[in-house]
Amino acid sequence: MSPLVRSTRQAALIGGSLLRECRRQRLPALMVVGAAAFTGGAWLLRDFNFGTSELKFLLDAGLGAQALFGAILAIVVPAQQFFAAVEGRTAQLVLARPVGREAFIAGHLGGALVLLMGFCALLTLLLAAMLWWRETGLMHAYPEAFAHGRRVPYAGLAWAALGQWLRLSVLAALTLFVASYARSGVFATLAGFGALAACQLQHVAREHFGALASASARTGAWLLGALVPDLHRFDLADQITAGGAPPAGAVAGLAAYAAIWLAVLGTLAACCFWHRDL
Amino acid sequence: MNAIDVTGLTKDFAAGAPGARVRALDGVTLRVREGEIVGLLGPNGSGKSTLLKLILGLLAPTAGSCRLWGADPREPATRAAVGYLPEAPAFPPALTGFEVVRLQARLSGMSGAGLNERVGRALADVGLAAAMHQRAGGYSLGMGRRLGLAQALVHDPRLLILDEPASGLDPAGEAAVGALLQESRARSRTILLSSHLPGQAAGCCDRVVLLHRGRLVLEGTVADLARRGGRRALMVEALPAALVEDLRTWLRERGARLVDVAPPAAALERTYREAVAAATTPGGGGP
Repeated sequence: MSPLVRSTRQAALIGGSLLRECRRQRLPALMVVGAAAFTGGAWLLRDFNFGTSELKFLLDAGLGAQALFGAILAIVVPAQQFFAAVEGRTAQLVLARPVGREAFIAGHLGGALVLLMGFCALLTLLLAAMLWWRETGLMHAYPEAFAHGRRVPYAGLAWAALGQWLRLSVLAALTLFVASYARSGVFATLAGFGALAACQLQHVAREHFGALASASARTGAWLLGALVPDLHRFDLADQITAGGAPPAGAVAGLAAYAAIWLAVLGTLAACCFWHRDL
Repeated sequence: MNAIDVTGLTKDFAAGAPGARVRALDGVTLRVREGEIVGLLGPNGSGKSTLLKLILGLLAPTAGSCRLWGADPREPATRAAVGYLPEAPAFPPALTGFEVVRLQARLSGMSGAGLNERVGRALADVGLAAAMHQRAGGYSLGMGRRLGLAQALVHDPRLLILDEPASGLDPAGEAAVGALLQESRARSRTILLSSHLPGQAAGCCDRVVLLHRGRLVLEGTVADLARRGGRRALMVEALPAALVEDLRTWLRERGARLVDVAPPAAALERTYREAVAAATTPGGGGP
């Protein structure tokens, strides 16, 4: 068996074990229930729609819940699981086997990515079901408003969920990178939330400095974009509520952008972890 | 070829103050031949666990080198034939004992139809057959040690590295560890085991090494070290206190010296084992 195949198999085993652990823990279940309650609860609050249509309000609320609870999951699970393994010494047992440290990191990252995929898929299905049910009710009440058929872009919802998952995946990789050199899980978690704010808002700073005449400001803006992932790029909700699905090329570009950041952050995490005493 | 080849191994750790270092291991050189059972003795904090972790590649040395069968232990493939029991083994609490050992076996490259049977047998060998489908988080300290042993042995390693293998075990558990070590000797496995209790190592090791404050201070076969100073241990059952002075005088007249009169720990342990065995035998009413 080639080393690459063996490492991939070991990473899958470690990721699978992490998922089994998560299935029996409270936090992931709490996040799913919280996000589902928020999504479902939005229907009760539909009168406070700030002037938008009821269906758009429900859609925004559902995607917002997914982003909020998903971010907590993407930060807390990698940090918690990594430190549970390192400080709880289960990592010693695994790494005393013929398991490379890069496979250990890949396993943790892969497990988190699959967990987040399940989270996004579940929440998107719930949101789609709720929108379908409510839209059906509205179609019966106001048939003239739906003369051209359903108005909720369900295909676009799937693209938005994909964007959400890619965004959360990059965030999980970023947290795992911090955890690989951090000395405490609390630090890694707080740094993860700090990184979320910085990465989500970096486009604002980049646009501001990029528009300035100074060459150094423009260089700074370029460096910011090169060194910090732009999580705002993954927000496809605006595009789908505007009526259409994003172009396939744009989605492929987004997936490539996420894959590059996952590879970079995963490699950095493996390098840091390689030098770490256990 | 030596199974373990350690040369001038030194390990420093960061201490509390910035820039401060504490030396846990200082220039240790050690060779363990293939098939040899070596006991690593020393008081708590002498550097035994640090040395074992360096041998496994879990720690990077500050200076010196370590080789397993001539290869770098930090390379994953080098550790394929190694079984390791940490001092305080920890397991993912939500996994069952069976899942833990199965995962470890698969990480070692085991697969196929016989895997589950092999895992079950490893758990049964350490006395966990009845508890193998309970979650590891609910295991007692002794059960955790047994689970640690099962995962260390499941892939039939050529080299076993055991950190305080009998720590936290009851006398029956200690006896089981002893039996496993004897079986490993029969299979010509190389074993490096650490202990802070010389008596544990005396019964099963070909050679012992004494570490103190990170330095190797004594090395030799059990028989050689026990003969140092011309000492012999004599165990006497039911010795009346009045006879102790007579014995001391009798020995002095013959040029020997009674060094210590201690409670008979080994005899107590044997009595305990006999009582437990009698109580667990059907129809046995205990002592």
